[in-house]
Order: sequence, then C-alpha cells, then structure tokens
Amino acid sequence: MLEPVMFTGGVYKHDLVMELVEDLGGYVLQKNVTQSEVILLLLVPKEDMEALKAIISDLRGELVRAPLAGTEVAVVTPTLAIHHLPHTACDIAEYLRRNGAKSNMIGLARGVGRETAQINEYESMLIDEHDAVVFIFGNFVECIRKKEFLYRNINIPVVVTGGPEIPKEELPYAFEYVPSVGRITHRAKKATELGTLDKIIESVGRALDRTRTDISKDPLTTSPPRVMDAVREQVPEVEYSFSPLPIALNLNGVRIKLPYDKHKDAVRAVKFDEGVTLGEVATIRPSKMKDYILVRILPMSETGFVF
Amino acid sequence: MDPMEVFKVEIAGEEFGAKKYREIIMDILQDLGLIRSIGRLYVYVDVKKPVFAVYGLLRTGIPPLLVRDVADVAQAQGGFQIKVNDEEHMSDLLKVLWAKYGRERVEQPSRDVVVVATDTSPSDLPVADLEAEFRQDLTDALLRIAPEGFRNRRNEMTDKSFFFIAAEDTLKSELISEVKEKIRSMENA
Repeated sequence: MLEPVMFTGGVYKHDLVMELVEDLGGYVLQKNVTQSEVILLLLVPKEDMEALKAIISDLRGELVRAPLAGTEVAVVTPTLAIHHLPHTACDIAEYLRRNGAKSNMIGLARGVGRETAQINEYESMLIDEHDAVVFIFGNFVECIRKKEFLYRNINIPVVVTGGPEIPKEELPYAFEYVPSVGRITHRAKKATELGTLDKIIESVGRALDRTRTDISKDPLTTSPPRVMDAVREQVPEVEYSFSPLPIALNLNGVRIKLPYDKHKDAVRAVKFDEGVTLGEVATIRPSKMKDYILVRILPMSETGFVF
Repeated sequence: MDPMEVFKVEIAGEEFGAKKYREIIMDILQDLGLIRSIGRLYVYVDVKKPVFAVYGLLRTGIPPLLVRDVADVAQAQGGFQIKVNDEEHMSDLLKVLWAKYGRERVEQPSRDVVVVATDTSPSDLPVADLEAEFRQDLTDALLRIAPEGFRNRRNEMTDKSFFFIAAEDTLKSELISEVKEKIRSMENA
C-alpha cells in the first residue's frame, strides 16, 4: 500500500530522499525547486515510512500527508473575470495544491448569468479528463439550483460550492455540496473561511475515495505511477517539456505533456519488464488539454491480467 | 460599523444572498476608496427576473485639485518653478502645463521640479478633476458589484445621486420604472 506524502525541505541533500524513495519501491511524483527550498510529492510504501521519517528528520525537513497526491482536480468558475477571481477560485485551487492534488482552473466561456449560462461539449470533455471537479457558484439559492445543468453531463464526481445552505437532496447531480463559500471579494483568512476550505478538501477526498473504490472492483492492469516511471525512462523528451509537471497523474492513467502526433508512437512502444507494451495495456489518445497525450490504463476485465 | 447613513439590501427570498451582497459591496467600495463619498445606498435585486439595481445618494463637493495643492510654486528667473510634493500628480501636472503653455515653455530639470517660462503664476491651474475621477471609480465599482452575467446595463448619474440597473434581458422602460418604484418604497420604509 503506497502512502501519498509531501516533503518540504532544503535543496541540500534532498536527492538522498529521492534515492531512498526509489530504493523502497516508491515513486517521486513531482519535484518543485523554489530557490533554496524543494517540495517533493512522494508515494511511499506504508511499512517503510519510518525509514523515510528518520532521514527527513536528519535533514531537518518536514513530511506531511498529502491525501490528494497523484490526482488531478479541476476548479471550474463561470468565467475567468474579476467577479469570480482571484479570491474564491484561487484559494480553493491553492488549497487543493497544498494537499497534493494537481489543480487546474477552468473558466467556462459562457458560464455566466441565470438564463444565459451554458457549457459546451469541449468544456465537459476537458473536465471529464480530471479525477474530480469543484464547481464554484455564487450566493443565490435560486441560481445554484437552476445552474445544475452545467454539471449534469459531467462523468466525474462534482463537488459543488456556493454561499447558502442547500439540502443535498435538492442537488441530485452533485457528489456533495459545500456551503458558505459563494462570491467572496477578499482572501480567505478567517478561521471559519479556512474551515470551509478544509471541508472542500475533505469532500474532494471522499469523491476520490469513491472513484478508487470503483476502480478496485475491476483493478487497472498496472498502476499510473508505474506508467509514469516507465515513460520517464523510455521517452527522454519528457524531461525537456517546459511544463512544471511533464507527466500529470490521474487515478486511471496519466497525461503526458508532449505533442501527440510527434510522440504517440514512442509512448505506445514503452515496454515494461513483464514484456508488454503500454499500447497493449492502455488507450493512448489526444488530450483535450492543448495537444498533450492522454493515457488511460485498461482494467483487468479487458486485458485479463494485472502486473 | 457602516460609515454610510443608510445601507439597505433587498433580495426577495434570499436572506443569505442579501447578507453576502452587503459584504461584497462594502469590500469593493472600500477597495476603491469610495465608501466615504456615498451617503445612502439602496440595493434591490430580483433573482427571478433577474434584475440588479443600486441607487445611491452622493456626498458631493470635492473641489478640483489645483497646482498649489500638489506643489510649491516659486518665482524664478524667467518664469515660475514648481516643486511637486506628491509625485503621483506629476504626469497630470505636466499634461496641464503643456496644454496651457506649450511644450517649448515647460522644462523639467529634475525629477520633481518643473520650470515654466511665463509671467502669470500657474498656482491656480486645476491639475485633476477629482469629481470626474470619483465618477469613473464609482462606475467601475458598480460594474464589479453587479453579477457578471447581467450584461444589459444602464447608469444614470446626477450631481447628487446615481441609479444603476443591470439585467440579463433587454432593459424595458416598464422594468426600470418598476424597479425605481421599489427603491422609492425602500427609501420611504
């Protein structure tokens, strides 16, 4: 069982942490160097956590649990205008990031208004590429109820946030509803506001757990971190991608940030130690996000084996 | 505590929304430094229509900013020397001086000093019309306050008051007069 954790510490000797994680059979999901500090998102075997804690305390680093690590969460606002940004949307996105998720902000092209709001096919398909989504609505009960059609066709769990209290039964298409957010024109800094952000994280965590349970009923042929490792090793161009996170992990696959047409064959040919190629155990198709490559690992029921 | 004498928000069936909109309006007016210039404020929203309206009474009477308010003016050889105290006004000051005396007669020997070749003192020239700036800021604030989808807008501004209405549908005169009537009843309540 791999445990998602986040290491924060100095750049000095942080490679020892990375080496240890790899030796233990864990994965380094993301490495962010900010001047003299480094933040590592790691997946570490639970039983070896003490070994990691020991080396981190020697390095005077900090290790916290990052429950959302290895997932991608979309934060959707009606538009990217001043009415919705920066406060609420950025606070939620940043909070998700601090808990280890990769958060993407999406502003709908025509999401505003009570009567005029709409979402198009491209937008819903883009949102569907994530593991969970947080929809940010405003302060009016009437609007939150009415604008349900924006997320009715989304296939991933939708956490809806808004201002007023609304019973969950009134929003049947939402996974959960988190009140007391709404439209806010200042940064979240009061204890109650931070508490609400925590509630959103908990709700997203539950949504992801549900997806994990669903996946465990028909397990994936291989795990996304393993695909990430293999692609990193065998498609060296990934290292030259300008994205801060060249391979983004999802619960059921990965997104590789390389042009699809140029690199799809190299990705398809990635070989595992067991002798199978990635093309045999996963579908590889163009992502809706830029011209990236989307890899979706097939479940055991389709390939007949798990490794 | 509200620095305004009267601040009413009426949103039928949306108590939480009314409370929150109060906060939003206060935040935005404070951000733009407008709160002291508004005496009374009435906000009327009908989510079902949907329409959003604000009526406010202004505390007017901001005099225009003159050269002597922002700078020390002294007679110098061949003209007047203006030493700007607050650099924020330098660009406005230069624009006014160029327009009045022409570029060839205005010189800027150092960062905060301007010399004008003229016989008459420039100390009474208006540098900035604060009233006009206030109106601009107020319009900006109203656009920020109104919910985003409300693209049909109308802003009636007089010396003493302003009336702003925004809706998703076309603004018909019946709707405007109906909303004005509502706001009048809020005033009299």
